[in-house]
Amino acid sequence: MDDTRSTRREFIQGAIKLGGGALVFLSGTSLAAEEHPAERYDWEAHRYAYLIDTTKCIGCGSCVRACAAENGVPDGFYRTWVERYVLSAEGSHVDSPNGGRDGFPPIEPGFHPTKSFFVPKMCNHCKETPCIQVCPVGASYRTKDGVVMVDGDRCIGCGYCVQACPFGSRFLNPATHTADKCTWCYHRVTKGLMPACVTVCPTGTRQFGDMLREDDPVRKAIEHERVAVMQPHLLTEPQCFYIGLDKEVR
Amino acid sequence: MEHARHVFRVIFVLLLALVAFVLGRTWLVPKSYGLYGPYRFDNVAEQAAIRAPLHAGAASCAGCHEEKAKKLAAGVHQHVSCEVCHGPAGRHAKEGKVVAKAAIDRSFTNCARCHRKILGRPEKFPQVVLEQHVQQMGPSALEGKVCLECHDPHSPKL
Repeated sequence: MDDTRSTRREFIQGAIKLGGGALVFLSGTSLAAEEHPAERYDWEAHRYAYLIDTTKCIGCGSCVRACAAENGVPDGFYRTWVERYVLSAEGSHVDSPNGGRDGFPPIEPGFHPTKSFFVPKMCNHCKETPCIQVCPVGASYRTKDGVVMVDGDRCIGCGYCVQACPFGSRFLNPATHTADKCTWCYHRVTKGLMPACVTVCPTGTRQFGDMLREDDPVRKAIEHERVAVMQPHLLTEPQCFYIGLDKEVR
Repeated sequence: MEHARHVFRVIFVLLLALVAFVLGRTWLVPKSYGLYGPYRFDNVAEQAAIRAPLHAGAASCAGCHEEKAKKLAAGVHQHVSCEVCHGPAGRHAKEGKVVAKAAIDRSFTNCARCHRKILGRPEKFPQVVLEQHVQQMGPSALEGKVCLECHDPHSPKL
């Protein structure tokens, strides 16, 4: 009887040690990588924002072509696109042929337009984003520098986020069968470059900046000028800010 | 004593379940998951290194094409990046060596993307209605010609 008791005690002690060891092992793994693994890049030193001046856009589609080339976006899908709004009291016409990639054709809208303009669109990289909330596997997330991204290894392609995004910024990539979206060219901005769309924009419509940099022109514009965001009533806190956004634009 | 043995059995089973849970969790939850939130932190670095930047910007083109860059900077196309017409620099040169000829598109379509008069463009932006341009210049001056036969894209004068 004494023998069995001592072995039982030993066993319980062993089990407690094993359990404790497993816990330490677990916490050890989660303490492993504290720093941003991208070299010489501190993600807490940046908080990105995007500024789109719709009054300058000429609808050339350079941004859409650059985005597709830079990120290998499949044909027929767009991480960024340009829409044309032709409006009057009598009617409205909105088009975006091939996402505006090849520019826009002349049109006869069938009414006398009183105003017309282009609106470049993309992921708004919202602070309170519905796409991350609905992801069942933790594949969608927002980085500390303010970029909403998709972990292709985790994504199961259920498409919840595609439906949840009120701006239509996401799609299921037919090649990878996972959710795909604008990353503000994270592979560029972490190296100090501008996103591809901003790099090629010939009119300065698209601007990219850092809200943590005091002399940043985009930060100054957002802080001092009259800017709007898309669908503010949804309270998603978009981080793409627009100048000259019309009430008809959704 | 007999009852105590039952208690030990229960504790034994519970401990076993705990160990199985902890080990299972370690195995199922990816490394770096949950460090900063419910996502795999390693993906941040993966995204940052997902591919080499393809567009280099006009300044990097000037490294080899200094003359063209000077001409461009002096004209009205100074803010038009080379890559708008010639495509991404990463497809043309890698590590200072030319890997492929850069695209040269002399077509009307290329100029028309920005300068054809269509609904939507800001009114002050220079736009051309081809029919009016023909009337101004005389039909013989324009027939069968592309814009670039008269206009230098690196320094277009009106």
